Amino acid sequence: MQAPVVVLNTNAKRESGRRAQLTNIAAGKAVSDIIRTTLGPRAMLKMILDASGSLTLTNDGNAILREVDVSHPAAKSIIELSRTQDEEVGDGTTTVAVMAGELLSVAEPFLKANMHPTVVVRAYFAALDEAVQHAEKIAVALNADDTEKMGAIVASCIGTKYMHRHSDMLVRIALSAVKTVRDEVDGRIVIDTKTYVKVEKLPGGELEDSRVLDGVMLAKDVTAANMRRRIEKPRVLLVDCPLEYRKAESATNVELTKDSDFRALLAAEEDYVTRIVGDLLAHKPDLLITEKGVSDLALHLLAKANVSVIRRVRKTDNNRVARAVGATIVSRTSEIVDADVGTGAGLFEVTKIGDDYFTFITGCDNPRACTVLLRGGSKDVLNEVERNLQDALCVARNILLHPKMVPGGGAIEMAVAAHLTAKSKTLTDVSAAPYRAVASALEVVPRTLAENCGAKVIRVLTALRAKHAGGGGEDAVFWGIDGRSGVVVDMRTLGVWEPLIVKTQTMKTAVEAAAMLLRIDDIVSGLSKPKGSGDGVGGGGFEED
Amino acid sequence: MSSLAISGTRESGQDVRTANVTACVAVANILRSSLGPQGLDKMLVDEVGDVTVTNDGATIVGLLEVEHPAARVLTELAQQQDQEVGDGTTSVVILAAELLKRANDLVAARIHPTNIIAGYRLAMREACKYIRDKMATPVEKLGRELLVNAARTSLSSKILGSAESTHFANVAVDAVLSVKTGGGKDGVPASYPIKSVHVLKCQGRSARESELLPGVAINSGRAAKGMPSRVAPARVACLDVDLRRTKMKMGIQVQIDDASALNAAQEKELDITRDRVKAILASGANVILTTKGIDDAALKYFVEAGAIALRRVPLADVKRVAKATGAVVQGSLADLSGAESLDASQLGTAEEAAERRIRDDTVTVLRGCRSTAACSVLLRGPNEYMCDEMGRSFHDAICVVKRTVESGTVVPGGGAVEAALSVYLDNFATMLGSREQLAIAQFADSLLAIPKTLAVNAALDATDLVARLRAAHYVAQTEEGKAGLAHTGLDLSRGVVRNSSRAGVVEPALSKIKSIQFAAEAAITILRIDDSVDVARKDADPEG
Repeated sequence: MQAPVVVLNTNAKRESGRRAQLTNIAAGKAVSDIIRTTLGPRAMLKMILDASGSLTLTNDGNAILREVDVSHPAAKSIIELSRTQDEEVGDGTTTVAVMAGELLSVAEPFLKANMHPTVVVRAYFAALDEAVQHAEKIAVALNADDTEKMGAIVASCIGTKYMHRHSDMLVRIALSAVKTVRDEVDGRIVIDTKTYVKVEKLPGGELEDSRVLDGVMLAKDVTAANMRRRIEKPRVLLVDCPLEYRKAESATNVELTKDSDFRALLAAEEDYVTRIVGDLLAHKPDLLITEKGVSDLALHLLAKANVSVIRRVRKTDNNRVARAVGATIVSRTSEIVDADVGTGAGLFEVTKIGDDYFTFITGCDNPRACTVLLRGGSKDVLNEVERNLQDALCVARNILLHPKMVPGGGAIEMAVAAHLTAKSKTLTDVSAAPYRAVASALEVVPRTLAENCGAKVIRVLTALRAKHAGGGGEDAVFWGIDGRSGVVVDMRTLGVWEPLIVKTQTMKTAVEAAAMLLRIDDIVSGLSKPKGSGDGVGGGGFEED
Repeated sequence: MSSLAISGTRESGQDVRTANVTACVAVANILRSSLGPQGLDKMLVDEVGDVTVTNDGATIVGLLEVEHPAARVLTELAQQQDQEVGDGTTSVVILAAELLKRANDLVAARIHPTNIIAGYRLAMREACKYIRDKMATPVEKLGRELLVNAARTSLSSKILGSAESTHFANVAVDAVLSVKTGGGKDGVPASYPIKSVHVLKCQGRSARESELLPGVAINSGRAAKGMPSRVAPARVACLDVDLRRTKMKMGIQVQIDDASALNAAQEKELDITRDRVKAILASGANVILTTKGIDDAALKYFVEAGAIALRRVPLADVKRVAKATGAVVQGSLADLSGAESLDASQLGTAEEAAERRIRDDTVTVLRGCRSTAACSVLLRGPNEYMCDEMGRSFHDAICVVKRTVESGTVVPGGGAVEAALSVYLDNFATMLGSREQLAIAQFADSLLAIPKTLAVNAALDATDLVARLRAAHYVAQTEEGKAGLAHTGLDLSRGVVRNSSRAGVVEPALSKIKSIQFAAEAAITILRIDDSVDVARKDADPEG
């Protein structure tokens, strides 16, 4: 008798063919439906309670999807798109997931009609190329010094957020923060907001009190109460070594035979501290900031010399201070030279806000690093404000690096869609239909905008489509939907602009991810984690970033 | 109860053979739909939910956890093909399974397995000889176009193949050609160590924006923000030396009698590291890579000297940089006189070292290195799964390019070789008056599994297409002056037969020969089995 032949691990579950494709599409759609309502100026927030009970209030696509726990592999891959978008350009995280979901769902009829997935995928890629090219053609160059236009772009990014009422303020903050840290190295513009812009959230006060400091703030107080709390034009010395006795790294044994030896040993330790403080004082600092601890003896000596000390500052904060005041962080006190002392700061001041003391080093000549101080009612609100500000910072950075913009409010998507539809009519083979489908998938952006503000979707969308299809003449590409009132308007008069790079990145990511999912015809799950080499069959020398 | 003296189960004769064949065919069936330009991908999810999306046969069977022992032979077969050739892993499994299936039918028709094995061996040898003598087109002048075509053929079945195949094929060809070593006048044959092609994967942008970085890229940024982000020209020191505060080895203790000497010990520790850094800087180095750490205290010296220092760089990366720039990796700084120094001759050079921001990460790129024997490819994509799959596809493509330039011969793809061999072996079989005739005829038929699967995956009429393909090859082999038809293969997007070589569908001859050899050997191995004993584990069921 023949026993049944077991080939695969019996735990593995397999789904193949049409079923696999349809479940992938369903999963992608489900994810995009979650965040659909958070698109546009009439967006709603989501309240997410995670497993540990902490609360997130947000309408940032990436922040929502990060918290959502999904098990379907295809859904996971859509969620990852938001993260990629966030890290690459920092904005458009909702749009990318909504668009990818839509691209999957418009492919469903083709698969059901037995069209080969590779045909669909090829048409998608062809459409993507055309779309990106067309978007670049529409894009309008921008002068980076034109503060008004820059403000308009950042404002239209903020317009979709919770914070839009305070949009003017956030725009000002984002632009001035980015301009502060803008740097030019060998002709290339470098804007490192991640390292040099620090957002500090202080609950309490009014949102209007938020501002960009022309310097740095630290959530610290001076170490001893009798030290000066206000110094004008301070000489700042930054060290990253402890100002206390430090043992050698190597195992050191001391054998004591007499009691006087013990005294000598203690004296040696004291001498050491006295000496390093002496080294520091030789440069006449007014303010000393260290990343490590300060011993009582050192504190006493420094206080006596009228030096204010701040201890246990984080490395990243110290880096910002160094850049703002023009100091070099020193680690060996005997090697300090006068050039290491920072003199760029205008004012050092410790103020009490609420119950805590905060150190402000402001009035810097050429800050190049800054702290953004956010004030507001509660921590949850501040967290959301920070997320919005981060998006605004990214937009401001993108536009400074790539000064090209496209009309927002779904206008660019509609223009590209109209172009693709026209183009698809010149295609003679079977790929024309999926090519056109990409166009209709792009329309999801204006459609969702209209839906979210309660407009008559079909009427508005038809009007817009007619405009773009040739009824609007040369300037038709600038017509989109006013996400607040739901009417068709010229985006130039409304002043809604978005960076080109965000829009093209959205299309690229969404189309490629959808194409990858459409190519799958078999899902095997429940496999045990591969041991050791993992997918080492792919060849050596590969690594994750 | 088992009739064996030991506890366990035993199967023998036809039962075990059929079971083995069934298992192998099952594995091949899983892979079947991923073959060819119209093949699709598999999504594999493991227990913790990690996802792999792939089209690569070796990766699929590697992750599938095949449990049946005979089917595991096929898993290893795919992996072997991956290591030896790098491409064609799916087709080798399909071919082996087909050979087994047909052999099993022959055994059922009362032909002894040894006869079949002998026939298969003979057929395999004949097939390889035929490819070498008749099919392979020697490529006198390795035109770049041909290499691009070979890479594109490999990529056509992958996710990269849909739209970007030309772009990636060019990147692959550039990458392989740029790591060429030897082949000069000294008679050392040229070799293309593809390990020197470093692949960096980074989410973001689009696949089209993947690029060949001119020079070596290292996946880390400078150790301190105070360092310059670009130096030119770069003099590179590659170190395997710890630049943290010097510490005695474990177990070594410093005995101090005099209390005042305590500080001296501590100072000395800092001094040793300082002197090391000074020695490095004294050599003129302005880009310093070390596999170990660099103390904050030591970083300052680099900052002051305007040098870029990278810490905790993986040794493999340091070696790659050393190779490219001509630097020598320093295990220690000690010199013959007992002091520590770094000679300028140990440094490598590059035109420029610059930091580049990619997404939220930084990479350091050394451009214009002294020797070009290393390069980096940066792959971009929408998410991790796609980047991983692009990495695998790209690996296959560079393997194919390497094989093509090394072996110097190509064969037409699109099922042309398989169809030609099947016609040839059919004729060859009829010339043979022995029992092997049947086995060889079956071998010839098995080869058709490849064009058939290609056609089925493209949703075309396989029977009709394969018949037309065979007819063309029969004419090519029998009629004078029609030899050109030997390049006939399938055009899967239009569903017709056409000249594959002219359409740019080519594969390295070596890869075809190897895959036929591997498949035949694997089939023979499984065919020889006529008894399977599964010894029950002691602690398992004592009834066994």
